[in-house]
Amino acid sequence: MTEQFETFMRNYQNMVYSTALRLVANSAEAEDITQEVFLKAYERFAELKDSPTAGGWLRTVARNMSLNHLSRYRARWSFFSELTSGSQEEDAPEIEFSAPPQLDEELAHADHKLLVEEALQKLPPAQRVPLVLYHIEGLKYEEIAGRLKVSLGKVKTDIFRAREALRKKLGARLGEEMGLEHNA
Amino acid sequence: MSLDYDKKLEVEIDRELKALPEIAAPATLIARVMASIELRKALPWFRRAWHTWPTSLQGLFLIAMLTLFAGICFGGWEATHTATFGLAVHKLGGWFSSLNAIVTALNALAGVIVAMIKQINSAVLIGVLCAAGLSYALFLALGTMYVRLAFAKR
Repeated sequence: MTEQFETFMRNYQNMVYSTALRLVANSAEAEDITQEVFLKAYERFAELKDSPTAGGWLRTVARNMSLNHLSRYRARWSFFSELTSGSQEEDAPEIEFSAPPQLDEELAHADHKLLVEEALQKLPPAQRVPLVLYHIEGLKYEEIAGRLKVSLGKVKTDIFRAREALRKKLGARLGEEMGLEHNA
Repeated sequence: MSLDYDKKLEVEIDRELKALPEIAAPATLIARVMASIELRKALPWFRRAWHTWPTSLQGLFLIAMLTLFAGICFGGWEATHTATFGLAVHKLGGWFSSLNAIVTALNALAGVIVAMIKQINSAVLIGVLCAAGLSYALFLALGTMYVRLAFAKR
């Protein structure tokens, strides 16, 4: 059983860890959450080992545990993000990328996905969490509002701000791909 | 902000994020989880979660709990029919009567306070309320500022 569980973990550990890390944006916390998810999975391993929905179950548990973790340890985040209504996000330091022309050249050679990942993790939690839940976890706006206990309007605004922040941080390349001249 | 722009941005960001590969979990993760599992296995049965107990013990525990519940119900029923219970009810009644006196005194005190407020000039009253409101707003603003400073990204 132990060997079977190790194989099971090897198959799913990256998926669970990615889900947690993209939500909490802290590798140590994501590792703790991943460990808890697999400890939970071990208790139900008899059901999970042959289940075709094991991946979905693990992903849902990882997502819920990450959100619980955020609400438990960062309850102040939503409160102060409501109070500041976005000024904190604007105050947040920009990621230090080189100037756009050089960036274009670098992106042509460097790992673009790594830059996207880095930019995503540097977004403020009030923007990153709903963005990840919408685009990566596939939740609807209403589900996100319910899960984060914030208004539907705030979810939409935060997601829009997050997309804008990513567009700015990823520089010209994204704009070119979109055929956009927008600088709002 | 045009709808066309919003839609394009949404599609583009969606494409970028969905294309992200999984992040590699730390190499030590499996060892950590397995060590935790071993640690949990080493715990005595009564310190583990109930659903992991041996079935026979789960059955025995259920029977013991049901017996205890029945005992409490039966004991409670019997107690209400004893002379001691009557005495206890009488004593409780005494306590509540003194509580009633406290409530009456508090009501009288509230009445006096209301009468005093009515005597005060309304301008003074508004001034005091404004000062209290301003102090509250000031404390909230200072508290927010301190928290923002304390948790500001450096």
